[in-house]
Amino acid sequence: MTPERAVSRVLFLGGFLAVALMIGGLAALELRALRTAHPLDIAHVVENREAGRSVDVFVSVPQLARALARWPPSPLAVIVVGIVVLLATPAVGVVAALIAFAREHDRRYVVICVALLVGLVTGFFLNVGG
Amino acid sequence: MNDVAFLSMILGTSTVAGVLGAILGLGGGILLVPLLTLFFGVSLPYAMGASVLSVIATSCGAAAGHLSSGLANIRLGLFLALFTVTGALAGASLVGVMPARALQTLFGLALAYSAFTTIRQLHVEVVDSLVADPLAQRFGLDGVYGDRVLGRDVAYHAVHVRAGAAVMFGAGLLSGLLGIGSGAFKVLAMDTVMRLPMKVSTATSNFMIGLTAAASAGVYFGRGDIHPVIATPVALGVLVGSFIGTRVIGRLSNTTVRKLFLPIVLYLALSMLLHGLGVLR
Repeated sequence: MTPERAVSRVLFLGGFLAVALMIGGLAALELRALRTAHPLDIAHVVENREAGRSVDVFVSVPQLARALARWPPSPLAVIVVGIVVLLATPAVGVVAALIAFAREHDRRYVVICVALLVGLVTGFFLNVGG
Repeated sequence: MNDVAFLSMILGTSTVAGVLGAILGLGGGILLVPLLTLFFGVSLPYAMGASVLSVIATSCGAAAGHLSSGLANIRLGLFLALFTVTGALAGASLVGVMPARALQTLFGLALAYSAFTTIRQLHVEVVDSLVADPLAQRFGLDGVYGDRVLGRDVAYHAVHVRAGAAVMFGAGLLSGLLGIGSGAFKVLAMDTVMRLPMKVSTATSNFMIGLTAAASAGVYFGRGDIHPVIATPVALGVLVGSFIGTRVIGRLSNTTVRKLFLPIVLYLALSMLLHGLGVLR
């Protein structure tokens, strides 16, 4: 498989899987709100970051894992899994490119992919802008 | 406004941002952040978090299409992303040390000059008879794409590779220092400096913006700025929009894409100059 096709496939599948999880979680959240007759009132929550944050936002993987371990899993946690999948997709794309270049014995681009991955991981911990 | 109406409106806005992002090689943040904050009342941190997510979603949707159609050049994207990411790492390490406002003024001036150059070559469809840069040949940066508008394959050569890489490093530096996106710089470096076809530049930029945004996304996630309920319609809209955008760009000429891109460059040049000179905060 060419590097172009390998990366294209990873980006498409990653994006598709992420959005499917996010839509599933949001639909479950709305259904739960309808059943309990308590509307989400999203417009109000998103206006105030501090008010919405403690209840609605996951900020770490252990917190997310705890919410997923319960049955039924929290619909918000399912959405966040989708977000994590989306955030990781570009880096997985570089891994796919690395493998494809390695198969083509293109050492120059294998090195570039490795350097990029190191940069991405470093940037993740260094608070780097887009 | 009820939940469904609210989410539907964000979905519609994000779809438009995705279409434009896929055509212009931008993440859509330039459109999404003002709309989310001004029209939907979303708080700025959530809007910024949604913007980072939209950059990655645009990149996934658009680059998937552009790579398989041959419009995006994967080697060019990886090679240049190396300089952007390195620049961003350097910028992030130099926060408080480098004079960010002076750099903003410098880049504002560079963008203004790029706008001038873009106007001058507004009607240039494809640059012919360029001598390939040896560095471009060494790294396999030249390529061919099938142009549906011209009805033929267009071979292109990258020139001034060192200068292009330097602009990419500078764009990354600015991103790291200020936490802003740099899709427009990437496109300009490829179109204006490296003289690549405009559509190749925007398509390759679409691939690159996902990589650089991924480096910063963890920070937004860790701060709790990516709100799941806002993120869902934004990601869905942008992804669908970017799929549409990849279909649309094939029907557009390089000059049309450049005309669509020009107002963005002018806006960014003005905004950066005003911020750099302290007129805007």
